Amino acid sequence: MEMNIKTNNKSVSLDNTNQAIVIRNLVKNFGDIIAVNQLNLEIKNGELFSLLGPNGAGKTTTINILSGLIKPTEGSVFVGGYDIRKELNPIKNLIGVCPQEAAIYKFLTGKENLELFGYLHGMTKEDIKNRSEYLLNTLDFLEASKRKVKGYSGGMLRKLNMLMALIHDPKIAFLDEPTVGMDPRARRKVWEFIKSLKTQNKTIILTTHYMEEAEALSDRVGIIDYGELIANGTPEELIKKFEVKNLEEVFLKITGRRIVEGI
Amino acid sequence: MNVLRILALVKMELKKIIREPAYLFLMILFPAALTLVFGLAFGTLDTGIPGVNQFDMMTPGLFAYACIFIIMIVAQSFTDDREQGLLKRISLTPTTSSEFMSSHIISNTILSIVQVVIVTVCSVLIGFRPEGSIFGFLIAFMFMIILSICSVGFGLICSTIAKSSGTATALSFIFILPQMFFGTFIPLTETTRVIAYFLPSYYATESLSMILIEGISLTDLSIWINLGILSILSILIILLGILIFKRYGNKNF
Repeated sequence: MEMNIKTNNKSVSLDNTNQAIVIRNLVKNFGDIIAVNQLNLEIKNGELFSLLGPNGAGKTTTINILSGLIKPTEGSVFVGGYDIRKELNPIKNLIGVCPQEAAIYKFLTGKENLELFGYLHGMTKEDIKNRSEYLLNTLDFLEASKRKVKGYSGGMLRKLNMLMALIHDPKIAFLDEPTVGMDPRARRKVWEFIKSLKTQNKTIILTTHYMEEAEALSDRVGIIDYGELIANGTPEELIKKFEVKNLEEVFLKITGRRIVEGI
Repeated sequence: MNVLRILALVKMELKKIIREPAYLFLMILFPAALTLVFGLAFGTLDTGIPGVNQFDMMTPGLFAYACIFIIMIVAQSFTDDREQGLLKRISLTPTTSSEFMSSHIISNTILSIVQVVIVTVCSVLIGFRPEGSIFGFLIAFMFMIILSICSVGFGLICSTIAKSSGTATALSFIFILPQMFFGTFIPLTETTRVIAYFLPSYYATESLSMILIEGISLTDLSIWINLGILSILSILIILLGILIFKRYGNKNF
């Protein structure tokens, strides 16, 4: 188990074939604010990795860097073996990103949104039809998808938001708080679906504030606070290490310590 | 360039107009109402030229105005999409910015064509009888299309500067009003004509008047000079719009 990996200036070998994501000494500053500080992380192909942490800890910033939306200040990032600074185009074909705020065209129907993003990902009409039918059926969304998004409930928006990220069947999916505002039944449905992605050997990077979600789904969790990775391991390992009953207690025990300690 | 991608974006943009009542109003009712009001107000005023009344003189300006109005629609639409995180989402797909911009130019050109058709129908109903041949019409149309491409550029500039769709609308008037006062349906004096030389819409309106009212021969060099100037201005403005939008317009974090 890797704990508290600190500066590890090993140069990245190109033998990253088994690693979906390799992050080395990643730093991101916004002016004076250090959003991500010396982050080192490796995520294997087919792994479901949950990135946990308090609000403003740097989870979304990390995902934004991994998906190429923002440039890192320092450090190197490889996604699917490609360098995020130099080879963004092949990365775009590999990844699907479900943003935290549902970004959906409200005047289109759910299905039209899926189709649009299918085309934007370069899919053919036939592929889009098959894939969206599969996705909509799996998540019981077929009827709702025929209606305009304007009338959707919060939970429906989240579902569609996630489906739009997965329309092109990406190898690596970033799901940024995908189940916020869903009722327990819908959430379970999404969990099942995320588990099914795992069986298809997809790599999933999940952020969530629901610890039971992270515990139920993840192969491994990383807890990030003040932009630093302060814990990294399977849920069982972390629970054992910090001698607590569940992941939520791990979270409460090790995050926000600086506030308590007044640093 | 992936054609399916551009088509999908064009389809989406057009649905945005058709399905949003506010946009639809701006698109269809506004030019129609403007034409009808102008027709009723100025249709009986004499210009001194036999067979040409004041409204006839203004119609080319109305055509140009319909194309200028695209600025507001583009400014609002881009700002809305940015606010909702959609531009960010599109930038996560392999869509290139040239595909994205092409789709906007195509969809907005379609919109301006629709507006021009509406203005044409309304003005003909009121009694406007344009001069010129079919070829003349095609050239007139070309002027309008180039002017609307220019408007897409202005719209992009507005939405880059504006932080919200409300300010985008207000800002778009900075580009709409001067062009409207000095380059469309309002008669120019010696002084205002100097300002007009700097406005793209002036060249469009002037040429439309020459073709549709005066029925000038298309071999006349001034039309082609105007077309050249308008094209150069439009290319510069759309390039400037795309550049600053790419650089500053898609940042919301």
